[in-house]
Amino acid sequence: MKIGKSYNLWGWVFISLALIALTLFILYPIIYSLYLSTFSTRGFLKTFVGFGNYKRLFQDRNFLLSLKNISIIFVVQIPIMLFLALIYAFLLNDPKLKFKGFFRTALFLPAVTSLVAYTILFKMMFSTDGLVNNILLAIGIIKQPIRWLLDPFWAKVTLIIAMTWRWTGYNMMFYLAGLQNIPNEIYEAAEIDGANRRVQFFKITIPLLKPIILFTTIMSTIGTLQLFDEPMNLAAGVVTGSSVGPGNSLLTPSVYIYNVCFKYVPNFGYASAISYVIVLIAAILSLIQFKVVGERR
Amino acid sequence: MKKVILMLLIISMLIGLFGVVNAAKKVTIWCWDPNFNVAIMEEAASRYQKLHPDVEFEVVSMAKADVEQKLNTILASGVKRGLPEIVLIEDYNAQKYLQSYPGSFADLTREFNYKEFAPYKVKLMTLNGKVYGVPFDSGVAGWFYRRDYFEQAGINPEDLKNITWDEFIEIGKIVKEKTGKYMISGDPYDGGLMRILLHSAGTWYFDEKGNPNIANNEVLKDALKIYKELFASGIMKETSGWNEWVASFNNGEVASVVTGVWIIGSIKAEKSQTGKWGVLPVPRLDLPGAVNASNLGGSSWYVLNNSENKDIAIDFLREIYAKDIDFYQKILIERGAFGTWLPAQNGYAYRAEDPFFGNQRIFLDFSEWLKKIPSVDFGLFTYEADGAIMGVMPDVYNGNLTIDEALKLAEEQFKNTLGF
Amino acid sequence: MRRKLVYTFIYIFLSISAFISIFPFYWMIVGSTNASVDIIKGKITFGTKFIENFKNLIETFGLGQVLLNSLEVSIFVVIGSLIVSSLAGYGFEIYKSKSRNRVYAVVLWTLMIPPAALMVPLFRLMNVFNLIDSLWGVILPMIPSVFLIFFFRQNFQQYPKEIIMAARVDGASELRIFFSIVMPSMKATYAAAAIYAFMTSWNAYLWPLVIIQSSEKRTMTLFISNLASGYNPDFGVVMTGVVVATLPMIIVFFALQRYFVQGVLGSVKQ
Repeated sequence: MKIGKSYNLWGWVFISLALIALTLFILYPIIYSLYLSTFSTRGFLKTFVGFGNYKRLFQDRNFLLSLKNISIIFVVQIPIMLFLALIYAFLLNDPKLKFKGFFRTALFLPAVTSLVAYTILFKMMFSTDGLVNNILLAIGIIKQPIRWLLDPFWAKVTLIIAMTWRWTGYNMMFYLAGLQNIPNEIYEAAEIDGANRRVQFFKITIPLLKPIILFTTIMSTIGTLQLFDEPMNLAAGVVTGSSVGPGNSLLTPSVYIYNVCFKYVPNFGYASAISYVIVLIAAILSLIQFKVVGERR
Repeated sequence: MKKVILMLLIISMLIGLFGVVNAAKKVTIWCWDPNFNVAIMEEAASRYQKLHPDVEFEVVSMAKADVEQKLNTILASGVKRGLPEIVLIEDYNAQKYLQSYPGSFADLTREFNYKEFAPYKVKLMTLNGKVYGVPFDSGVAGWFYRRDYFEQAGINPEDLKNITWDEFIEIGKIVKEKTGKYMISGDPYDGGLMRILLHSAGTWYFDEKGNPNIANNEVLKDALKIYKELFASGIMKETSGWNEWVASFNNGEVASVVTGVWIIGSIKAEKSQTGKWGVLPVPRLDLPGAVNASNLGGSSWYVLNNSENKDIAIDFLREIYAKDIDFYQKILIERGAFGTWLPAQNGYAYRAEDPFFGNQRIFLDFSEWLKKIPSVDFGLFTYEADGAIMGVMPDVYNGNLTIDEALKLAEEQFKNTLGF
Repeated sequence: MRRKLVYTFIYIFLSISAFISIFPFYWMIVGSTNASVDIIKGKITFGTKFIENFKNLIETFGLGQVLLNSLEVSIFVVIGSLIVSSLAGYGFEIYKSKSRNRVYAVVLWTLMIPPAALMVPLFRLMNVFNLIDSLWGVILPMIPSVFLIFFFRQNFQQYPKEIIMAARVDGASELRIFFSIVMPSMKATYAAAAIYAFMTSWNAYLWPLVIIQSSEKRTMTLFISNLASGYNPDFGVVMTGVVVATLPMIIVFFALQRYFVQGVLGSVKQ
């Protein structure tokens, strides 16, 4: 039919600007780097290696270490952050709660800070002689200053604390918005039936927010796989910069890509191969998350 | 709406064009450290401008990592416009850039009399018989110590001119016991001290052919042992990053600092410590061929071949960095920059007594030590090797791995990083 | 009684959380009034150094130009990406077709690629357009935002299709329907998207770092990271810089806050 055809055309017209921009600025670089990933490069000298870069990756201990580092964030930081965000959203959704606006704004505020700025701030707060140790010592929680950025374990703890501070409110916002879709009558009915808050949280809130939880989980997973600004700036400012955080404890795949491109003998082919493996991992994890949540598109 | 978008596009093109318009005779320089390289380059530029008022300079100050990132991006993408005329490159990285981007740096072999520069610097910037840079500062290492603390601990500095690192640690324990001060400070995961140790024994992470020499490198084994011992003995204050490190000696917590001569500016920044410091030769490893002299860092200027005003840039570097003796005196006094253009070392500043260091003629001493530094080829992969070794250090510190095991692992990792 | 106890717990819990959220902001402001040494020691009371720090920031480091650059980048990215992404979101949602859904899936997948790997090819491309070391070089690649296309599409799902149908019957053109009927009625969506676009562009780090070379074209994030990465940074100045970098974000957020939840709400309707 005539009308159908013209609407189809309009569809393309509407998305054309975005498609042109995406093709230029995202698709072209992606395809170009796919091509590059079959070469081993040194600056602008190229040697074709086919799948050689990919084979090499699986023996590269630094790359594996970077995966291990982010998997800890994946397993520890994301659940803590999302669970906290859910609780905040649940509590703030209570119509009887006072000062709601204040709490919501306060909890969201960290999300407006720039990644670089807040990382610099946290780096100062968590220096060995710094603010956080001073407070903890004064309260008497610890007797010795914690070696936050000097110990591989504590460096990761610092990163996790910083990221949780920055991103919890951001995720809370999605949940809060999602909760507005759940009519208050459901909660009221549950209360009449004698369901306490814990029951309400686990039996009503979480099941009804499932699609949004899935969405935030996938976004956080992708964000973690691409984690760059925070570890880069937390680890910056050392004398020779030999390791990214103590014992490379803050090395993430993106930081490794950056190092392979810009700090080491520049091998853009190898860096491209790393990024494709990251894409693959992101895709697999997203699929698993879809399966676990049991959501069909 | 369409008009608006069209307008935006037109404006964008226009502004875009302005983006790369350059003044006719402008020399752009990329370097890092505002209190050192940047300030020195500005001084050099103003001197040149007195002779050639028509030349403009823009000294762009960036973080070191940013200079490296930009240089890599711009050279790898083959861009010819908007190149800086001059960039600062750390000596450890020189061969990496020269060999990764052949033809990108100007061949200066005929432009300078390289016999007038410290030979080890010239060697680092030579590839296939051609010289590509203008040697700048040296990283000749010294052992800066607090005279007052040492005296308090009953140690005579005169006895410390030829000691080993093992003796250094023993003395550190005495200092700690008598004064309560740490002997030195540093980041347990920084490779700076490692480089000092290796260089003083004339060794690096590679053999002459450029192959990795890590697992069976006796010097490296010794160096790792010292790293572990320094932290285990409690004489080293652990600091994270540059700022905490500098703070640790500015606020009097440590009795000494072992590092490159360029630290002088930071030490002297604490004026209340005037007269309390002195400098000794660095300790040596207890191995054949090891000397009481070493190097950490140092960098040089390179001219980009495709830059617009390449010839002016070369002339500028020649006029100032290979002719102006007074310039070198000034940057030495004001910034602690130890140039490697040898004629400058006959100047007054190199013989002057420094009241801050108890009237010691420190630069005369550094000139002597400079001559003793073994010549080392840094190769291409210093940072990769550093990273591999620091990656195993946690297990060395906590005893999970013996030093032999750790180095074996590091060598494997290093080879993987390189794809050998 | 029990109920009251529960509420007391909730208030305490929320207050502690809010305190932790806000405290770094407080410390950052305090820091901008203190000298470098005091900041390292973790001083938490106001000092008297603010004017000195601020003067240093402006005179030694040229803050004004940097702020202007960042503003220019953010404003153009916000305008550009709001137009481009809302058009695309509308196109994908209202004119559904199999082939466009396939395109949409591809678009979503590109979210997963680590941006660090795209820098060199993107830089080459910018050279072709003659946009290296220009603010437009920073702006253009940030305009197509996959997340915003997704966000707008979700929001347009809520839009009552009958209104579009009615307008068509009245003979309005498709573009007119979008620009004068749909767009004005989606204020909250656009406000939320604007906050997001402003946040990402104002805070962008890696791409500006790659494309900008001269100091007078630096954006705020580059400026801050450069302030902090020098060998002997003055932390008072760094803190003041962090305050100045964060302030515009807070202003934009408070200005648009009342639309924000509403806007996000549209994107998460099930």
